Amino acid sequence: MDAKVELPVTEKVKLSVRNLNFYYGSFHALKNINLDIPERKVTAFIGPSGCGKSTLLRVFNRMYELYPEQRAEGQVLLDGQDILTTKDDVSLIRAKIGMVFQKPTPFPMSIYDNIAFGVRLFETLPRVEMDERVEWALKKAALWNEVKDKLNQSGAGLSGGQQQRLCIARGIAIKPEVLLLDEPCSALDPISTGKIEELIHELKSDYTVVIVTHNMQQAARASDYTAYMYLGDLIEFGATGDIFMKPQKKDTEDYITGRFG
Amino acid sequence: MSAVPTPLSAPAHDTRMAIFRRRKRVNAIALTLSLAAMAFGLFWLIWILVETVRLGVGGLAWSTFTEMTPPPQAETGGLANAIFGSALMVSLATLIGTPVGVMAGVYLAEYGQRGWLGSATRFINDILLSAPSIVIGLFIYAVWVARVKSFSGFAGVLALALIVIPVVIRTTENMLVLIPNSLREAAYALGTPKWKVILAVTLKAARAGVVTGVLLALARIAGETAPLLFTALSNQFWTSDLGEPMASLPVTIFKFAMSPYENWQKLAWAGVFLITLGVLALNILARVLFRNKH
Amino acid sequence: MTDKHLSTQFDAELSGISTRVLEMGGLVESQVAQAIYALTHFSGEIASQVLTQEERVNHMEVDIDRDLSTIIARRQPTARDLRLLTAISKTIANLERVGDEAARIARTVQRLINEGVSSRMRLPVSDVSFEASLATASLRKALDAFARLDTDKAVEVIKQDNQIDQEFEGLMRKLITYMMEDPRTISASIDLVFVAKAIERVGDHAKNLAEQIIYIVKGTDVRHNPVATVEQLAR
Repeated sequence: MDAKVELPVTEKVKLSVRNLNFYYGSFHALKNINLDIPERKVTAFIGPSGCGKSTLLRVFNRMYELYPEQRAEGQVLLDGQDILTTKDDVSLIRAKIGMVFQKPTPFPMSIYDNIAFGVRLFETLPRVEMDERVEWALKKAALWNEVKDKLNQSGAGLSGGQQQRLCIARGIAIKPEVLLLDEPCSALDPISTGKIEELIHELKSDYTVVIVTHNMQQAARASDYTAYMYLGDLIEFGATGDIFMKPQKKDTEDYITGRFG
Repeated sequence: MSAVPTPLSAPAHDTRMAIFRRRKRVNAIALTLSLAAMAFGLFWLIWILVETVRLGVGGLAWSTFTEMTPPPQAETGGLANAIFGSALMVSLATLIGTPVGVMAGVYLAEYGQRGWLGSATRFINDILLSAPSIVIGLFIYAVWVARVKSFSGFAGVLALALIVIPVVIRTTENMLVLIPNSLREAAYALGTPKWKVILAVTLKAARAGVVTGVLLALARIAGETAPLLFTALSNQFWTSDLGEPMASLPVTIFKFAMSPYENWQKLAWAGVFLITLGVLALNILARVLFRNKH
Repeated sequence: MTDKHLSTQFDAELSGISTRVLEMGGLVESQVAQAIYALTHFSGEIASQVLTQEERVNHMEVDIDRDLSTIIARRQPTARDLRLLTAISKTIANLERVGDEAARIARTVQRLINEGVSSRMRLPVSDVSFEASLATASLRKALDAFARLDTDKAVEVIKQDNQIDQEFEGLMRKLITYMMEDPRTISASIDLVFVAKAIERVGDHAKNLAEQIIYIVKGTDVRHNPVATVEQLAR
């Protein structure tokens, strides 16, 4: 099914998905997806379990390549360049398109090293500049005040919400252009969730954010554009206010109002 | 649908109590049997330990550590050369075996999850792991000792290393596989190349487990006798030359314990006590390390 | 416990919409004041000014309502936030009707002027003016109370409504007397009755606003209750 994808003319397109099909072995998981992700806005993917929203997200940074039975066909254009068929090394793509996962995963090293790890992959910074970068990233993630006195302690000693913010700080420290968030709050309590949603709102002034969430209220609160997916199809895409007030498709309205099943 | 559950009638209540009582009886019987089995096992274990300590400590003296293995029926003597020989060969074997084992374990966990090479390696490793150590000893004898026409500490090291490697491979692979994929994915998502993901993230996260595996391998070879019989043999005197036959605690114990000489027997028990103590210490260390990380 | 939400965006949306409500309130307040001025000074010019504002007021009602619905859809507000938003919905409906009343007064003035009624006729315009001052004071007080979420002020507004109703009744009696004395004044007097009624309704709308304020702050719906009960409920 082709959903009508039309961004208002004022929006610049950052990521463009064209005729994307995705397979887990012989299972057709994503069916002919066409979608434009606007720059410096928050786009949310919603839909019931198994609809393909996480799958679609993981195509953007080619995470599926870690698993040989998964393959993608079609195009994903980042600023016009197809990242699925590019000759560039996939690490360079992943440096531009960062991802934060559902489960907070601090590396087994100090908080400082966690943040510096990604930076050291692509840049050689003198100690002073690295300190600044770490501080900047932690401040952006609203974590600096809580950890500034214990940067040398292990990342595993933080609470769940703090760990997730650490992962976000780690992701933005390398200054990507796009930030992919795969259900970042599902393992967190409401207060931590609220802090992270506030963070996402700030991040969008610098980054294009795409967030997958099974909590559609979160999509309603935190996103500018929402895409509703079901069983591998993109059913509807539009401005969040419109989707939640006046969805075009009955399927979308049924899902949003809870008339499902 | 009834609204409020009514209290049980008398006959129903009796049946219930009867079933309950029978259950209690079965429980008591099972518990008693388990305790008895445990007591049985513990009894022998404690007896072994008590005998070891009793006979071993009796034979221990300062001289045990300073003097060489004596001729039969001598007045003085110790186990210095055997202790040294064991320590040297065991540590060298671990030093050689660990890198090989860890690298192979990394291959199996990170590259060899699919495909024929991984499966084949794992299969062969499992066979090696359960191979009797005497077979390994004979193998080194045929391949090295017979060719060079001399027993040597070096051959002993080789044999022990061949025992260490499968153990380290198995534990390294197991520990690495335990690390959740989400950690690897988080590293990949930053643009980390595969080798760095393994080295700086996965292996680091698993290091406690891997080190534990190495310690356990060490503890295992500390007490191995058969392989050394055909490779390092033994030496009455002190030597630190790996080209020569070298004394070791297990072989010395073997020789002394079966002899009719009292001083030798005493020294044998002292040796047993020392090995037991060493292995115990290593096991405790391994456990402490592992518990701290998890 | 702070007064701010975790989401600064939500805070901004709520304060934004409250500000616009006050803006709309100020607009209709001035509409009413202008309409009364047009009446007391028989100024056709001021009356048409009032009528041009009509469209703007109507637009504001539609815009604010739409944004209100969007906030509810996106933020899933609860408790005080939800009460605030549902109260705002009713408040702007009341304010829009105040604007309608002002327009009605202005149209009446225009009609009076067209029919050649002059200030020389002994019409109790000054009494209407007094009633109007009570009503506009009520409206102003209600809007102030909304800005500060002040329940005491709101209760005062509700009490004052009785006074306005009494003024209206007094005015009615006077106009009936005029009509009986001089039948030539019947047409103009009836127009004035409508004006007085419109003003009385402005007072009612101010009272409705005050009831909504009590609902926002206390969570109690005090509508359709006598004043004494309201005072009790609002404590």
